[in-house]
Amino acid sequence: MGFLSPWFLAGLAAVALPLWLHLLRQYKRTPQAFSSLMFFEHHVQSSVRHRRLRYLTLLALRLALLVLLAIAFANPFINRTTGATGRRKLTVIVIDRSFSMHAANRMTEARAEAGRLADGLRGQDLAQVMALDSHLEALTQYERNRGALRTAIDNVEPGGLSSSYGEFARALRAMEQTSGMQLDVHLISDMQRSSLPNFRDLQLGPHTTLALHPVGKGKESNWAVENVVTAPQVYDPKQTRLTATINGWQTDAASKKVSLAINKHVIGTKEISIPLNGRAQVEFLGFDVPYGASRGEVTIDPKDNLPEDDVFRFSVRREDPRRVLFLYTAGRTNEPYYYKAAMESSPSTGLTVEAAPLERAGSQDFSRYAFVVLNNAGEMDKAVAQALCAYVQKGGAALIVLGGNSARAGKIPLAGERFTSERVTQGAGYVDEQTPALTGVGRFQNVQFLDSVQFQPKAGARVSAKLADGSPLVVEERMGEGRMLIFTSTLDNSSNDFPLHASFLPFVVQTGHYLAGGEETGSSVVAGAAVTLRRTHEQGATADVIGPDGKHELGLGEATKALSFGLLKEGFYEVQRASGRRSVEAVHADRRESDLNSIPAETLDLWRNTGSSTTAATGSVEQQTMPWSLWRYVLAVALAAAIVESIFATRYLKEGQTA
Amino acid sequence: MPAALTNRFLDPRVLAGISGLDLIAKTVVDGFLAGLHKSPDFGFSQEFAEYRAYTPGDDLRHVDWNVFARTERAYLKRYRGETNTGIMVLLDASASMGFGGPVSKFEYAKFLASAIVYLAHVQRDSAGLIVFDDDVRNFIRPSARQGQLMRLLHGVDTAQLGKRTNFARPFFELQQFLKRRGITVLISDFFEDPQKIVGTVVPLRFRGNELVLFHVLDPGEIEPTLGQAALLVDMETDDAIETSPEYARVEYRQKMQAHLKTIQAKAREAGIDYFLLRTDRPLDEGLREYLTIRQGRM
Repeated sequence: MGFLSPWFLAGLAAVALPLWLHLLRQYKRTPQAFSSLMFFEHHVQSSVRHRRLRYLTLLALRLALLVLLAIAFANPFINRTTGATGRRKLTVIVIDRSFSMHAANRMTEARAEAGRLADGLRGQDLAQVMALDSHLEALTQYERNRGALRTAIDNVEPGGLSSSYGEFARALRAMEQTSGMQLDVHLISDMQRSSLPNFRDLQLGPHTTLALHPVGKGKESNWAVENVVTAPQVYDPKQTRLTATINGWQTDAASKKVSLAINKHVIGTKEISIPLNGRAQVEFLGFDVPYGASRGEVTIDPKDNLPEDDVFRFSVRREDPRRVLFLYTAGRTNEPYYYKAAMESSPSTGLTVEAAPLERAGSQDFSRYAFVVLNNAGEMDKAVAQALCAYVQKGGAALIVLGGNSARAGKIPLAGERFTSERVTQGAGYVDEQTPALTGVGRFQNVQFLDSVQFQPKAGARVSAKLADGSPLVVEERMGEGRMLIFTSTLDNSSNDFPLHASFLPFVVQTGHYLAGGEETGSSVVAGAAVTLRRTHEQGATADVIGPDGKHELGLGEATKALSFGLLKEGFYEVQRASGRRSVEAVHADRRESDLNSIPAETLDLWRNTGSSTTAATGSVEQQTMPWSLWRYVLAVALAAAIVESIFATRYLKEGQTA
Repeated sequence: MPAALTNRFLDPRVLAGISGLDLIAKTVVDGFLAGLHKSPDFGFSQEFAEYRAYTPGDDLRHVDWNVFARTERAYLKRYRGETNTGIMVLLDASASMGFGGPVSKFEYAKFLASAIVYLAHVQRDSAGLIVFDDDVRNFIRPSARQGQLMRLLHGVDTAQLGKRTNFARPFFELQQFLKRRGITVLISDFFEDPQKIVGTVVPLRFRGNELVLFHVLDPGEIEPTLGQAALLVDMETDDAIETSPEYARVEYRQKMQAHLKTIQAKAREAGIDYFLLRTDRPLDEGLREYLTIRQGRM
């Protein structure tokens, strides 16, 4: 026993106060005049002795109260042995339901092992069944009912997500802290090496014991369609191109037949040879795709132990190219030259550029274009400016390019900010490639910009690229429902040498793709990804998601409120966004799950030992001593002493008043 | 006693609020006389005594003309008051009389003495006063002359608490002055041996005097309550004694009751009137009760 705050014991000096009150002052009595003492006798009655005794009781209570208070503040503690015996025990049966558990009969083995564990529990043992993939999900409450545990075990099915032992360990640590129980965890998994994070992330809590139950063979060969690369939009069937990668893990050299099917119709089959533990690629060119969204699949034959990864799903959409209106200064027909050439050199964008002089813009219907490039505009016709503003505000997009005319006007067209221009030759200082508009455009290396434009962007604007002196180069602003990109230099080589560098092409393609609204995902996504259903201003509009099994995935409330939806299962999802746009999303499992190689046994032993040293096999428990604070109990006794003291004192006070 | 009647009596605390003993005495005596209007003869000497045959020279105002009308003989109606009874009030002013509250025994005794001398004045009896402790502090000879009432009341009013009690000294003095028989009223708390008290005063009785003992006590003396062990100091001797609540509650009360019974018994044996007055009792009520008892005895 000890004290956590021993300096509070100095408060014991306060016991001197009641000692003084009782011992030094107790029998001082004011003489009381009486008419005659002829009937009184001089002797000390036993009642006086009794009273003194009772005063001593009161003194003892007061001393005890002060001593207990001082001790309580000093925070006494005793060392208490903790361990499995100090906490209630909870048996946690965790079944891996990641994609790899599809292989052979792994899930059957896992369910059988879990069933054996559940049957082996004693009558009063608490247990919980959980499932592991990318996160840990409880399938039951804390149960003593074996039937409920068996039902949960029998209903576990492998999914499309990958397993994460790091997430598993983190969840167990949190569970140990929140439950306050001794966790006896049984993990039934194929122990994939690919699911192993940094070892420090596997650390278990001090009150967790881990028992590992591997299922499946330690090493299994597996082939999979690892990846399929194709453009998600098809504008010209003659230019379609699809590359599929076939990979083998712990495999011998083999020959496989690879088939491409669009909407269940096989349109091409190729035979490829896959080397030992290697990969091979196969390409399909010029295949026809019908208009609208199509579902594509690349499959390999013959199937292996994990047939689910022998097929790779993707989606393509065929549509006509969209037009971009390039407004240039009259007489300067060379202004759209570079931009048009760059855009049309990349047919995957599906954009064609129409150039028109700014003076004739009044006759244009802007809504027919994917977006408008406003190049080097000075003082604009008011009607044209209003029409362009209305177009952007209703959801259109514009690329505003500043040049000599804009500098003379001193104002950014449409946006309206005043700016100053200074001739300084410099390169790009900062390019934010995380913004959708500039994803993959590079850092504009070796590009020289001759003008530096200074202006104060509007609130909410995003500066995506800057020149070396910090002046803005690419600024994104919103106007109503639409968006504008402001490029503070030119798209020809009049004030920079940008068009002469390789980075010009991806810049034109990516900004065009972004302004045209083409920010959706690629032809396929990994299971667990989320698809955006609505933007915040689209609240109330209905969205819908039809899953791979043909069922509507959203409830009524979710259909009008959900901002996004997680694509967790392999297959095709039909997604109708709140904006009305429909798409087909192809979802495939993370191909790291296709590597069925398991974690070495010594690594598993190390992991097992990160938790409590108690082992499921031996049942021995490491005893730990922890300080157990007693101040609450001491304070409770002090409170009781205070109550008794007040009762005694009140009684004496009443007697004193009647005297 | 009916509550309505009880409520008519004067609380001693009310009397203490009245300034002037004459007014207090008048209030007390007129009060209980008015309450006893059917018995106007109540008093120390207003009682009817006898009829006596008229002899020449008698005052014709006292002839009972009703008897004369019936018998054609003149008789005089005689009252005891016409025996010129003298009343001597002995007021104990020892220190112990200062005990009690809110009306002390001494104040109560003063009210009682005032009421008695006023009653005597109303009945045209001569009255006198002796204030004593261990010696005679004030002596006013009995008289029925004009201004006697004021002298007596002044004597009562100016009486101060003295020291210890000594009954022998005032009664020795009294015996020197009392040549005629009368009524002697002794007002005291009688913290003395009953045998000694009665032995001291009984010689007056032998001379044909009528003796009345008014025993004035505070309720706190009869039934003291102590909350805790107390150090009590005697108001006359300054002796101190430590006692306990249990003793005061049991043994003291037993001794006090025995003392009261002994005084009463000794007084009765000696033919002395004895009447106990508690200071929490209305004075007029006590006087009325005593006079009722006295009339019944006569």
